[in-house]
Amino acid sequence: MKSKESIFKSKLTWAVIAELLILVIAGILEPSFFKIEYNQTTGMLYGSIIDIINRSAEITIIAMGMTMVIALGGTDISVGALVAVAGAFALKFLRWDVTVYPTPGDYTVYPFILVIVVPLIICTLMGLFNGVLIGKFKLQPIIATLILMVAGRGIAQIATNGKQFTTGYTPFRFIGQGSMLGLPFPIIITIVVCAVVMIFVRKTAFGTFVESVGINPNASRVTGLKSDKIIMIVYTLTGFLSGIAGLIYSSRISSCDSNNAGLNYEMDAILAVVLGGTSMTGGKFSLTGTIVGSIIIRTITTLVYYFGITSESIMAFKAAIILVVIVIQSEPVGKWLATRNARKQKAGELHG
Amino acid sequence: MDKKKSNRFINFITNPKYLMVLATIGIFLAIYIFGAVVYGNKGFTKLRTFAMLFVDNAYIGISAVGMTMVLITGGIDLSVAAVASLTGMFIAYGTTILNIHPFVCMAFAIVVAIALGLAMGAMVTYLKIPPFVATLTGMFLARGVCSLISRDSISIDNDLIDKLAGWKIYFMKLNDAGEWVKIKPVAYINLNVVMFIVMILIGTYILQKTRFGRNVYAVGGNEQSARLMGLPVDRTKMMVYGFNGLCSALAGIAYSLYVKSGWNLALQGGELDVISAAVIGGVLLSGGVGYMVGTFFGVLLKAVIPALITFNGTLSSWWGKIITGALVLLFVALQQIVMTSSGRKKKGPKKKET
Repeated sequence: MKSKESIFKSKLTWAVIAELLILVIAGILEPSFFKIEYNQTTGMLYGSIIDIINRSAEITIIAMGMTMVIALGGTDISVGALVAVAGAFALKFLRWDVTVYPTPGDYTVYPFILVIVVPLIICTLMGLFNGVLIGKFKLQPIIATLILMVAGRGIAQIATNGKQFTTGYTPFRFIGQGSMLGLPFPIIITIVVCAVVMIFVRKTAFGTFVESVGINPNASRVTGLKSDKIIMIVYTLTGFLSGIAGLIYSSRISSCDSNNAGLNYEMDAILAVVLGGTSMTGGKFSLTGTIVGSIIIRTITTLVYYFGITSESIMAFKAAIILVVIVIQSEPVGKWLATRNARKQKAGELHG
Repeated sequence: MDKKKSNRFINFITNPKYLMVLATIGIFLAIYIFGAVVYGNKGFTKLRTFAMLFVDNAYIGISAVGMTMVLITGGIDLSVAAVASLTGMFIAYGTTILNIHPFVCMAFAIVVAIALGLAMGAMVTYLKIPPFVATLTGMFLARGVCSLISRDSISIDNDLIDKLAGWKIYFMKLNDAGEWVKIKPVAYINLNVVMFIVMILIGTYILQKTRFGRNVYAVGGNEQSARLMGLPVDRTKMMVYGFNGLCSALAGIAYSLYVKSGWNLALQGGELDVISAAVIGGVLLSGGVGYMVGTFFGVLLKAVIPALITFNGTLSSWWGKIITGALVLLFVALQQIVMTSSGRKKKGPKKKET
């Protein structure tokens, strides 16, 4: 048990070391990378580091849910589509009478609370739909979430009649563009979400239940855990978190884009989880690791932009990184490392 | 005698192995007849409409042949669309900018695709990495390389490619004067459709008639038992991913003949079209069950929905996505029911969980 703990620990340490290494490279190549300025007029901190954390908000929030989905041995590939759905419904409720105000501005038809709550409810229900298919009907996670991944963008398009709505409504724009305590508001949302999820998972038995179901669903059922309920809760939570990410995303761009909102988010979220040291085969998971993983992804993306490399070729960099990580995580390599460590320890004991 | 025959027929229909394929064919026919009744006067029943179903979806079908095999082994391949896009990029960049002979570009693309497929197969087989993650890496890699070659869409400017893309077989009929004339409205099939049909036939042959095909089913049915039986599990899995690489490259060639350009973001999300076509065609994602005929009709079924929406004219084209999603749901639900009920009937330890 103890050796497992240390491996688990070292995975998180590796992630942190990787992040620091990338930052050091960035700092050497571009000393102004770490500069943080305080803007008096907007009352906000500016700088690459702040920007990285700010921009990683959506992936971090989704990856919180994804961590537990993966810990259960599943995957949720519908999150990107749910981001689009949340944006589309939020903007749908932010419509105004075009004949009265011809240009986008600070007005809304429905009360603001509806604009926030309805998309979140819809996303939560979609998450529940995934959860019921996987938990109750025992469908394969990939295929169950594939349904909403395909249909979700269609629903988002139909909600907005295939148009790209824009909005100038200040409270809504505040979600993605505003600031509080000198920090961009998405960072505040991320901190709150992460704190709530972590307290829920680690201060109650829920996290242990998830790990147990992920390691052996049958054994967990026999010991009296309601596996299907736990699976449903986790997928519902992921749907809800995708909804929050969708609101942040659409608020950032003050509009909705059903085609491109959340595109490849499922891949980024999975990557963040894997980088954070949670194994794709399920079982133990680390939420802190996931946060670091998400920040690593964003740091690399920012760096790539910063040094003027074409944005689409980020994919190749990401591929290289995942390749290294999954090869290290893979079973045969893990076994090889374990035997080597054991041999070293033995040798140490003999000599010591 | 008669009763025996009808019994055999009922057994054939209710056999879970064939039920899914029959359901796909049935639903396709139902939708097609529905279209014929409602939009018959607009020309839905014309041969042209039917031929266009093939012409517009041939590249998905070609890729679905390889995907069917991967899914039968219990794996999944997310890289197909990215590899197809990379193939298109190789052809566009090679022929138009570097002035290389198109066949050389195609051969190069095929070699690269097969190598990538084998590499992903090795990751799945020997490093025991889940297929989802291994092929996700392949997808990122292919898309990244695509973008490194060019960020902009390159339109192909090559006589041979034009010739290949323009090659068509027209459906003819005898007119009153005894001459062969093109039927109206003009209906044709092109090289892509020929490739699609040939690949489906090759796929069927491999799966049903060769030792390799038997191994594919055995590995998907139960990898452990296949290994204990002494079947070459590792080699089979590698070859399946390699074959899928070949199919992706051929799909990329078909796509570049279809749109005559290479673009780094082409076919984004195409892998899901291919997977859902196979699933609608009755291929079981947990492995071991699936037929090429099913995939063939799965592709057609996926193709006929947008056609119907186009004929309707008032519905948003996005309904196509929602209906596809609903169809996938219907089929996985059906699979689940069929599998659990057949497992119950046998009462044996045959029920497998993957």
